[in-house]
Amino acid sequence: MTMAAQASPPPDVGAEPTRPDPDVVISAEGLHKRFCRDLRRSLFYGVADVAGELTGRRRARHSLRRGEFWALRDVSLELRRGEALGLVGANGAGKSTLLRILSGVIKPDAGSARLVGRVAPLIALGAGFNPILTGRENIYANMSILGLSKAEIDDRFEDVIAFAEVDDALDAPVQTYSTGMAARLGFACAIHIEPDILLIDEVLSVGDTRFRMKCRRRLVELRSRGTSFIMVSHNAYSLLNVCETAIYLKRGEVVTSGDAESVLRQYEEELSLGGDISDAGVLHLPERPIEESYGLDIRSVRFRGPDGEPIDGPVCGEPATLCVDVFAHRPVPEGDMAVMVNALVGESDRLLSMSTNLDSVSISIPAGRSELRLHLPYCCIAPGRYSAKIAVREALDTYDQVDSFRFTVKASRVLSRSAFFQPRRWEVGEAQSP
Amino acid sequence: MQSPGAHPDRRRVVLYTADSGLRRPGAMVREMFEDLASSRGLAWQLLIRDIRARYRQSFFGIAWAFLPAILMAIGCTVANRTRVVDFGETDIPYPAYVLIGMVFWQTFVDSVNGPITGASGALKMLSRIKFPREAVILSKVGEALFDFLVKLIPVVLVMVWYGIAAPPTILLVPASLLLLVAFGAAIGTLLAPIGLLYQDVSKGFGLITRAWLLLTPVIYAMPGPGTFGTIVRLNPVTPLLMTTRELLTTGSVSDPLAFAVVAGLTPAVLLGSWVAFRLAMPHAIERMTS
Repeated sequence: MTMAAQASPPPDVGAEPTRPDPDVVISAEGLHKRFCRDLRRSLFYGVADVAGELTGRRRARHSLRRGEFWALRDVSLELRRGEALGLVGANGAGKSTLLRILSGVIKPDAGSARLVGRVAPLIALGAGFNPILTGRENIYANMSILGLSKAEIDDRFEDVIAFAEVDDALDAPVQTYSTGMAARLGFACAIHIEPDILLIDEVLSVGDTRFRMKCRRRLVELRSRGTSFIMVSHNAYSLLNVCETAIYLKRGEVVTSGDAESVLRQYEEELSLGGDISDAGVLHLPERPIEESYGLDIRSVRFRGPDGEPIDGPVCGEPATLCVDVFAHRPVPEGDMAVMVNALVGESDRLLSMSTNLDSVSISIPAGRSELRLHLPYCCIAPGRYSAKIAVREALDTYDQVDSFRFTVKASRVLSRSAFFQPRRWEVGEAQSP
Repeated sequence: MQSPGAHPDRRRVVLYTADSGLRRPGAMVREMFEDLASSRGLAWQLLIRDIRARYRQSFFGIAWAFLPAILMAIGCTVANRTRVVDFGETDIPYPAYVLIGMVFWQTFVDSVNGPITGASGALKMLSRIKFPREAVILSKVGEALFDFLVKLIPVVLVMVWYGIAAPPTILLVPASLLLLVAFGAAIGTLLAPIGLLYQDVSKGFGLITRAWLLLTPVIYAMPGPGTFGTIVRLNPVTPLLMTTRELLTTGSVSDPLAFAVVAGLTPAVLLGSWVAFRLAMPHAIERMTS
């Protein structure tokens, strides 16, 4: 895959390009697209564009009209047969716009895209499903929209229903299906068109885990037969499982492109550093008047390194200590400290739940200032932004709690294709009898 | 399962640029006919889907296709009998005249409306998937023709009731009807992209059809000379509708010249609308979806 930086000469528009590399299935050069957020103005520009189109005057434009912004700016890419390319970026970075231009739904404002072979979008699952009609009837309508003839659908029909696992509901209206069933049926239709190029937009999260595994296997199978992919996902790990190369888009422009692992790493680091990080890894809480206190106050929260030195945040795979500075107005003989960690981006499921109580450890906090420490021999969570809720309790009484201590886990090594860091060692030993 | 290289699309090359499609007329015309050919199967599937869905969720079912025409015919017949309005002298009994006229008129209106409602109904699909957009129009025109077949039930009944013997020219009715539908579809196809952008189109079209009906000899006989008569004669739907009705009932065409002119222009208008539709749709879709 070659990238924006190594711009090759643009294809000769109009005339047949000089013997293009037969393995290149997508080549896009300097794609631009402008959008307008003001609807009234946007409609007016739409009419103007239609007028330019009808009079034949419309040509590539590299300038913005009033109120417009670049949804895509100078994006180039090349994809060969059997290759998979990942697109990452925040919402509104231009990922879907790029896919829509490549699929031919909308026109670029400048630049060109050349595609060879049958293109199938895995974008709107179940587009054209009519809720009143049965699953069987909808399969025919949906797959026709995706470009198959009646005979081709007949050929694949059994495979589709086997894949979607809806056989007993096949003759029931789709409106009686659960969300998961409808999504499975849509996915099964789309994935059985056997395209040369598959454009996948955030759809691999349908169904349960088992179905997702099945979808992945099917994608791998398609790829081994030469299908090329462009895949959009917020989830870096699902991209890494499929793509070798990636493009990171930000506000319509290519930030970086190339090897998927390094692109994703940069994306994740920027994601974790950007935004609302104001503290330098330490949270100070204002002192509380004694009448508002429940007997123990949290003064500050921070991470420290193995030698007790303050650090901005833990480093993945290395030791760290979460230190909570407290002031107790009276001794707390059987204290309990709890730490709950959530990821800030992506799925906001609880990641970790730790407490002295769960670990059957009791901590005795003397009156006055002290530091409660949670030692992590290895920080096992993946690089990224997290939020911790920290509470100090005794039995059912909560003395004080911090609702959100935000911290960043930094990367020391590439956590390639792993959801967390597994501490480990390897060895070669003597063979053992069972 | 297909082996690689087996599918004809496998080597199909497409090029997307910012330039107007008119700058590469050869490629445009080739793509137009390729898309037309490949949209037939899809149009058929969409047609089946829409018709099934329509009747499955309806108690009166096909009656909806001809109830408006029958009610209109009854209303006008009563008005004519009681001399509230004078609709003029017709060649065939007035109730048959107005019922048959309304059936053809309704089919014309359906042909105009089809592409407009079809495009907005398929917007979600159009905004996500590139497929031959002609299929949306073809399926809606097909729906208008299907409805016409249903509407033939009261037409046959009224002709039998009034003892109107079908002349041999009835064999030309399908051709004449297709021209009427093609003319309507051409207007609808032209309006469809604008209809996606501005609600005014579908709202305004409802108003316009009501006025247009009054300028077409559907419920009244062809007026004599005069300003009104001239306007009615300049209305391109007049010769198409009059001729179709005459071919079905009397067998003698009252204004063959006007019919020939409109019939000759219709394919050109349709082709022009088709080109405009293809060029305008990507822009309309872009503005209405994200």
